[in-house]
Amino acid sequence: MTFSDREILETIRMVELETLDIRTTTLGLSLFDCADPDLESACEKVYAKIVHQANDLVRVAESISADYGVPIVNKRIAVTPISWVAAASGADDLTPFARALDAAAAECGIDYIGGFTAYVDKGYTNSDRALVDSIPKALEETERVCASVALASTRSGIHMDAVVRFSEIIKDTAERTAENGGFGCAKLVCFCNPVPDNPFIAGAHLSVGEPESVINVGVSGPGVVRGALARLPEEADLLAVAEEVKRTSFKITRMGELVGREAAKRLGTSFGIVDISLAPTPAEGDSISDILEIIGIDRTGSPGTTAALALLTDAVKKGGAMASSSVGGLSGAFIPVSEDAGMIAAAREGILSLAKLEAMTSVCSVGMDMIAVPGDTPASTLAGLIADEMAIGMMNHKTTAVRVIPVPGKGVGEVVEWGGLLGTAVVQDPGRYGCKVFAGRGGRIPAPLQGYRN
Amino acid sequence: MSRRFLTAEDIARTNDSEIVVDAQTLVTPQAEEAARSRGIAIRTSSGPYVPPAPDRGPDAATAQEHRRLMPEPIDTAAKNTAIVTAVGKNKPGVLAALTKEIAELGGNLEDISQKVIGDYFHIILTVRMDGVPFGELHERMVCMSCPDELAVSVMNERAFRFMHRV
Repeated sequence: MTFSDREILETIRMVELETLDIRTTTLGLSLFDCADPDLESACEKVYAKIVHQANDLVRVAESISADYGVPIVNKRIAVTPISWVAAASGADDLTPFARALDAAAAECGIDYIGGFTAYVDKGYTNSDRALVDSIPKALEETERVCASVALASTRSGIHMDAVVRFSEIIKDTAERTAENGGFGCAKLVCFCNPVPDNPFIAGAHLSVGEPESVINVGVSGPGVVRGALARLPEEADLLAVAEEVKRTSFKITRMGELVGREAAKRLGTSFGIVDISLAPTPAEGDSISDILEIIGIDRTGSPGTTAALALLTDAVKKGGAMASSSVGGLSGAFIPVSEDAGMIAAAREGILSLAKLEAMTSVCSVGMDMIAVPGDTPASTLAGLIADEMAIGMMNHKTTAVRVIPVPGKGVGEVVEWGGLLGTAVVQDPGRYGCKVFAGRGGRIPAPLQGYRN
Repeated sequence: MSRRFLTAEDIARTNDSEIVVDAQTLVTPQAEEAARSRGIAIRTSSGPYVPPAPDRGPDAATAQEHRRLMPEPIDTAAKNTAIVTAVGKNKPGVLAALTKEIAELGGNLEDISQKVIGDYFHIILTVRMDGVPFGELHERMVCMSCPDELAVSVMNERAFRFMHRV
């Protein structure tokens, strides 16, 4: 039996009209063997190893795309958190590592590389602290490097000193890239419970327990889910909605499984995971907000939004889990405000508040993503916003993240244009009141009872 | 000594006129430059140094082995075919033009489905790919696309198999 016309046209429609694509093939690389007491030698090794291992990545991804007719949008690299690689050097300024990553990515034809990263959810090593302090300069001086910091986990609690420091780092990064609307902060994210194999920028890195090298694939298709739900009659009940999302997610994930297997084979490495994350782009129809509205929410941000998003995230995971034994990463639905045309509109009209976004992050796959706030927002208020998000992740055993941009010189309601995939943001209101005393206490919010599972 | 990297610092430290490295050693570009400027030769015990194949780690070899045994979705009839679809405004000769290109590449048509709805048509061709370079077929077919007139796409059957078969 060959394929029916209906099957063939369904796939073609997904690719041609509903922007189904492999969002990223990310090569994860361990850089542990690049550690060196001499800073320059360590950076040399980092550069040499990445170029040596990844100079084929773009060619291989493009050859798969050509051989299968499946679009692969991005090729990226995720490396061992640099704070671990840099520890042996004892350096205080780790910007040279960022420059080495940047140069290696450029040499390989890669637009973003993730892994300028530290894990400080319980405390800092000297190297972690050096990395965190180096972030503003590193993001100012490089184009392609993305930074991430783990500030909290269910096992360790929330490291509030680090949350406060990270908030200052965000402010500093925004100021240093002020002429681009604080663009540096779009390459900077903090996490609670980060996943070790995240293929998506800005949080991509390759943590411990991972192989020497590995291919992780991120597959996306909000347009496909939107199209499938739009064809569902309005009277279809929510079980039918969940079923439709699940079936669609299954099909999308199969494409990721195929590309992951093939990329690993052609690069001669291991296949890690497929991350099935509905990731919107500013393109028409490629929107999570549209999906929520087709499910039946008047406007994204109105009552019912969190429940509809919960249904969506869960059904995506279930469909994905059936489609591949390697589902991992973040898998679910991303809600980056500036990258989703529907959310931008809802934020502009004041329908989608920061408070509602925070609620949505308790059921989406990541967190407060690509949020613009006024440039003069105090660091302590940012710390409160981050701590709230970390608390949601910590208490619910889930990954949460914050990527917030305090846009220099802009106030509530003003618009900032980053262009490309990062889109357009409306500066949102964090409220008049903050948490100066709370943030100023510092220390650590202890791990919750949920963390003690042994 | 077996080492994973040779750096410029290693070159600076040596007083010898040559450095013998392990075949798996990766010489950094800076080390190569430093060695060149100081006239130091870098070689392996068996001959001149050539960069090694990337070391993908201990899991990579077993992964290749295990991948062979990984179940694939089955559709024996579809195996090793390409699916060409064309959608556009109906005019005489479209099917002939498509099949001519396929024949020139040595592709064998296994199945044709065509439907005309009003002024528009869609054609689905299943092409046996024995010996036909997919990349070239893809390029030639997609080149026939013409904005507002004809959209041609080519996908490997394996993509459909993964999506529609278990």
